[in-house]
Amino acid sequence: MSDGFQPMTSSATHRAEELTSKKNDGQGVHHLGYRSWSGWLTPGWTRWLVISILGIRRSWQNKWLKRMLYVAWFPMIWLGAGIFFWEQAALYPDWRNIAMSMLDGLPHDATFERITEAFRKGDLASSRHTVWALLIKTLFRYSQPVMMVMVVGLIAPPLISQDLRSRAFLLYFSRPLTRGEYVIGKLGTLWAYLALISTIPALTLYIIGVLTSPNLSVIGSTWDIPIRIVAASVILMLPTSALALCFSSLTQESRNAGFAWFAVWILGWFTYAAVSTGEAFHTQQQFRRHHEVLAPPESAWTYLSLYHTLGRVQHWVFGFSTLQDAMTSMAILVVITVVSLSVLFYRISAPMRV
Amino acid sequence: MSAVIDLAEISKDYGHFRALDRVTLQIQSGVTGLLGPNGAGKTTLIKVLLGLVKMTEGRGRLLDFELGRQSRDIRAHVGYMPEDDCFLHGMTGVESVQFVAQLSRLPAIEALRRAHEILDFCGLAQERYRLVETYSTGMRQKLRFAQAIVHDPPVLILDEPTSGLDPEERQVMLNRIRVLARDHGKAVLLCTHILPDVQSISNAVVILARGRVQVSQSLAELSRPAKPSLQVRLLGPSDQFVNRIRQRGIEVDTQSNGSLVLHGALEGMSEFVWRTASECGTGVRSMTPSRNSLEEIFVSAVRGELQNE
Repeated sequence: MSDGFQPMTSSATHRAEELTSKKNDGQGVHHLGYRSWSGWLTPGWTRWLVISILGIRRSWQNKWLKRMLYVAWFPMIWLGAGIFFWEQAALYPDWRNIAMSMLDGLPHDATFERITEAFRKGDLASSRHTVWALLIKTLFRYSQPVMMVMVVGLIAPPLISQDLRSRAFLLYFSRPLTRGEYVIGKLGTLWAYLALISTIPALTLYIIGVLTSPNLSVIGSTWDIPIRIVAASVILMLPTSALALCFSSLTQESRNAGFAWFAVWILGWFTYAAVSTGEAFHTQQQFRRHHEVLAPPESAWTYLSLYHTLGRVQHWVFGFSTLQDAMTSMAILVVITVVSLSVLFYRISAPMRV
Repeated sequence: MSAVIDLAEISKDYGHFRALDRVTLQIQSGVTGLLGPNGAGKTTLIKVLLGLVKMTEGRGRLLDFELGRQSRDIRAHVGYMPEDDCFLHGMTGVESVQFVAQLSRLPAIEALRRAHEILDFCGLAQERYRLVETYSTGMRQKLRFAQAIVHDPPVLILDEPTSGLDPEERQVMLNRIRVLARDHGKAVLLCTHILPDVQSISNAVVILARGRVQVSQSLAELSRPAKPSLQVRLLGPSDQFVNRIRQRGIEVDTQSNGSLVLHGALEGMSEFVWRTASECGTGVRSMTPSRNSLEEIFVSAVRGELQNE
């Protein structure tokens, strides 16, 4: 190989040959030297899956995550019991009376009135869709977003920030991998865990409903609920995972990304609470002055709460509000997703440009 | 033989700064040393080859793939060992090699088997089961090398593969590169600041300076001096010997280390040297044809004193 220009010293060459030769016994009997490789390759689209699976495996090592996943399934117990109770009430009048007495203590709105009316008339089949959708919406609207914030807050911060810190981008992008595949791979990790706490419990709830109902004909009246579950899951996952990865890509310290993530949700929630309280107080003052009940107009500041913005869209997805009611919230989620992904792509391209 | 890398008039601008200036280059199989001072454009050239940055103008091919348009195919056929200390956090050595093999589409089980095989070749024994962040600089260097070759690419781009290694490990690493090029037909682009590394294993040298190719030639041609000469070291005093030689009209230079450089035609010179030394009552310790050192070539190229052929 060398042109004899200035060869290695013979002892060094000998030692080097020895260490890299097949005869070297320092590495055990299996040391075979370098061997060429040929074999079948996996399809190209599986590259993102490799990244996702790695993320899932590494996140799974976190014992707090495992605990949270267990906790995330707790709401299934009482929501499943709710569906079971409803279906039993459809079959047995005694159960209806118990249900009526339980509903009396709850705050009433139009949906509740419809359900109560169904109990009174004994025509539970007509409200089955509403009740199932309401219970599953409760899962998406209240308990699971809280779990989502915690689970994503645990998983997402190191996903990209660690790659930035350890300069792993060069390892990724010197392979036949696009930035899109890299991002989808990282998102896939989050989606897998989010599906585990939202889509899968909700679909399980639906299956419990079908299994506890008098017969399988209920599928005919509730066939759209699984589709709504998938839509609600996408709405829950897409903006939140994009935002979380965006934060992760903005720093090399995962704790900073985690702090930003929790700050967005907590500050947003407090803003909503403060503005809503202020509006309620104002409405009460008006009632005292003018002796008339006025519905408080919803302040634009309440859209700062991502939790409530998500909730409004989930409300629409399950058919409890009109598209018009959810339009602004939906636009906000779209903007968050697009801006987050743009920042994300910019950040992961930046190390390559230097 | 067609070139493994064939570049024509490649330029790359970063804003107003021209990092590569009409680079035209053919790189054949074997080991090619890519040299240049800091900021010469070596890393930019590598990034352009891998499609990590877009070239501003020009065209080129790597194997049968067009630069810029078939970057994924190029990256599938190239093993790149970056200079930067980059690693996958929270993974053991063997896991990280398996992972990059899987990114190159090797099936999971096969990737694991191959990772072990390559780590054996690279001399990472039980350390492979340790987290990468606990590795020493030398171990990380070997790990990056293993990651570059795990998918058995026909072309290797190695950026400073021996930096941070102790002298023995450096020789072993160079020998691994030699084995890959010689026995397995890999085309290796060796980017380094350590000139002896290039001298010891390269067939050809490319020297970049200020974004331009200053030299692109085989090492044998480069090392051949403009005038043939002979380097002689004597066992005893050299005064009488030098006088005798000069009387024959041969130009002689005495170097700082005491060796003599005899300029002129080499034919019959060695016999004449032996005879003259004997007549002067001294002996010849060594006698070799003079060659340009790579260091001299490099300095001349960077100063712009050499013309690319």
